[in-house]
Amino acid sequence: MLYFYWVIQMTLQEKLKILADSAKYDASCSSSGSRRQNKKGLGNAAPYGICHSFSADGRCISLLKILMTNCCIYNCKYCVNRKENKVPRAIFTPEEICEITVNFYKRNYIEGLFLSSGVIKSPDYTMEKMIETVILLRQKYHFHGYIHAKVIPNASEYLIKKLGRLVDRLSANIELPTEPSLALLAPFKKSENVESIMTLIKKNKSASFAPAGQSTQMIIGASKENDLTILERSSYLYREHQLKRVFYSAYIPINQDKLLPSLKIPPLTRENRLYQADFLLRFYGFKPDNLLDSENPNFNVLLDPKTDWALRHLEEFPKEVNRASYFELLKIPGIGPKSAKKIIASRRFFKITLNDLKKMGISLKKAKYFILCDGKYFASMNILKRSFLESNLILESKEKNERESCQLSLFHE
Amino acid sequence: MKGSLANSVCFMNNVYIYSGNFADLLDLVFFLITTKRKPFDIVREQDVEIRLLEERIRPIYQEVNTKKKWDKIVGKENTFLCQMAFRSTYTHKELAIYYYLLNALKYWEHTKDMRRLKCVNKILELAHYVRHETHKMKGFLRFKEMKNQWLYAEMEPENDILELLVPHFKKRLKEEYWVIKDVKRGLFAFYDRENVRIFSDNEVKQLDILEDETEKQIEKLWQTFFRTIAISERKNLRCQQNFMPKKYWKYLIEMEDTNEENT
Ligand code: SF4
Repeated sequence: MLYFYWVIQMTLQEKLKILADSAKYDASCSSSGSRRQNKKGLGNAAPYGICHSFSADGRCISLLKILMTNCCIYNCKYCVNRKENKVPRAIFTPEEICEITVNFYKRNYIEGLFLSSGVIKSPDYTMEKMIETVILLRQKYHFHGYIHAKVIPNASEYLIKKLGRLVDRLSANIELPTEPSLALLAPFKKSENVESIMTLIKKNKSASFAPAGQSTQMIIGASKENDLTILERSSYLYREHQLKRVFYSAYIPINQDKLLPSLKIPPLTRENRLYQADFLLRFYGFKPDNLLDSENPNFNVLLDPKTDWALRHLEEFPKEVNRASYFELLKIPGIGPKSAKKIIASRRFFKITLNDLKKMGISLKKAKYFILCDGKYFASMNILKRSFLESNLILESKEKNERESCQLSLFHE
Repeated sequence: MKGSLANSVCFMNNVYIYSGNFADLLDLVFFLITTKRKPFDIVREQDVEIRLLEERIRPIYQEVNTKKKWDKIVGKENTFLCQMAFRSTYTHKELAIYYYLLNALKYWEHTKDMRRLKCVNKILELAHYVRHETHKMKGFLRFKEMKNQWLYAEMEPENDILELLVPHFKKRLKEEYWVIKDVKRGLFAFYDRENVRIFSDNEVKQLDILEDETEKQIEKLWQTFFRTIAISERKNLRCQQNFMPKKYWKYLIEMEDTNEENT
């Protein structure tokens, strides 16, 4: 009784502080992919995402990311909100969430709401409360902005369907890369459960059911999997469940537990490499086993996955930019889809030289080692050796590093 | 002057003057191209005083409102790109547009791929820059609610993007009354739940901008959220600044106390 009394006495400020703090570890932020129109009310969803601000960790702020409550009946090992942690707890009422969302939205602070929650009473009870909130927001406040809701694991199917019809994106977190890790650290979550939620969402996806599709998140470094396992898992998820995005979230050591690794700092470089590799899977036509194999199951921390791959396949280089196909161009370190398209558009009119590439705004720092421009190599060909290139490229990437790791906090979709 | 050069020299010093709006620039360029005149420069009326040495010419011509004509002869995409570039603050944008259109007559829809041409590269760069800033500003604009329920936002963008922002906010804040002000250019966009009208400083009387009392509380909520959502173990201020350059901070209320509050 006393406990609840205390919860009610809290100001909105205090609640927001607790419930944003406990939601901050979720990596998803994007607000793109939906075209919800404004029909006499407040807001719409822009099909391309909009970042409204950037927090001190350099991540994009697009949505009001909060938990409905951080009280939880479960005890997942890696989670700040687990039952056994002595942290301040709070619960938002549906009205409070609507008030904040609408007020923030009107002032153009946010694109919409990201709503997740700890589990109170039961998964179904929690889901019902979330649904109540979203209904209130859509119907009473006529809010047509973006809403991303997390499905509570083990909730009933009819509730998931109901929520899906109200929001732009619905998602379930896979949490850890493999079933054994999940069984160890979050025993009540079963990966087949998460997958059946994904299947359900995929089956129902339409213009009026979670139109922006689904995403998921994996925590990196809390369990023992190597990068190859993780990447294969993602590639499976993209294929099987047509996910829009898999987010990787470097494990931040918040809890002490003998089952958890004792890290001092979160494995951010590793997270970065996984994001880079993830792009290679989705947009560049690479497969996990192109990039890694049982002998090298983890990414090189010194070089990005594509450069690393290129150095192991020097026989494919240099590539003539005036002839290489789109996918061949994409294999060149430093050249992405945009640059490849520019090259293809321009070379219909003239033979491209190194200088032309510069004019197109293509960064040659890495690319120059791997290309021929109209038959010319930028230096003498005898530097095209692994040992030589490696030392140069590692330095190049050191200089570029800050910018690169920034890029990934964006919402490329 | 040497005799044989006389003709070309008097050509070369000609500075053409236009009113400062895009439609007029298109008219002028059309005139210049059809009469085969090569401008030494093209400047806006209000910038004329600074240039003393050249011959100033304000031609009189029949053709007006050539925008549609241009759309037809070079394709809409090309005029669109020029219009975007025109919103930038680049000093020689008029000349770049002149040369771009001159080339567009020849290369039509392929013009934008002719990156070896300086004018093409420049126009694309400027257009990209303008569009990029518009996109950023869709996120960075901050409204405050006024006593009379109006939403009021001030901004200082580098490029002239007010008009480009308007359609976005018209859709988004359809049922609200709002004003967006470009402080440096002294331009206002007013939306009255139906239409947007754009006024300049001298057309607008003193605005009644009294903040509502609850405004401060909501701003404080936002600042709390902003501070809380950052993961301190991942702190990366350089990255933050890359995405959110300092020039925009002035109106970002969440950045007000950044320097003291380095948590
Ligand atoms: S169910 Fe969610 S909130 Fe509860 S302990 Fe597990 S991860 Fe944390």
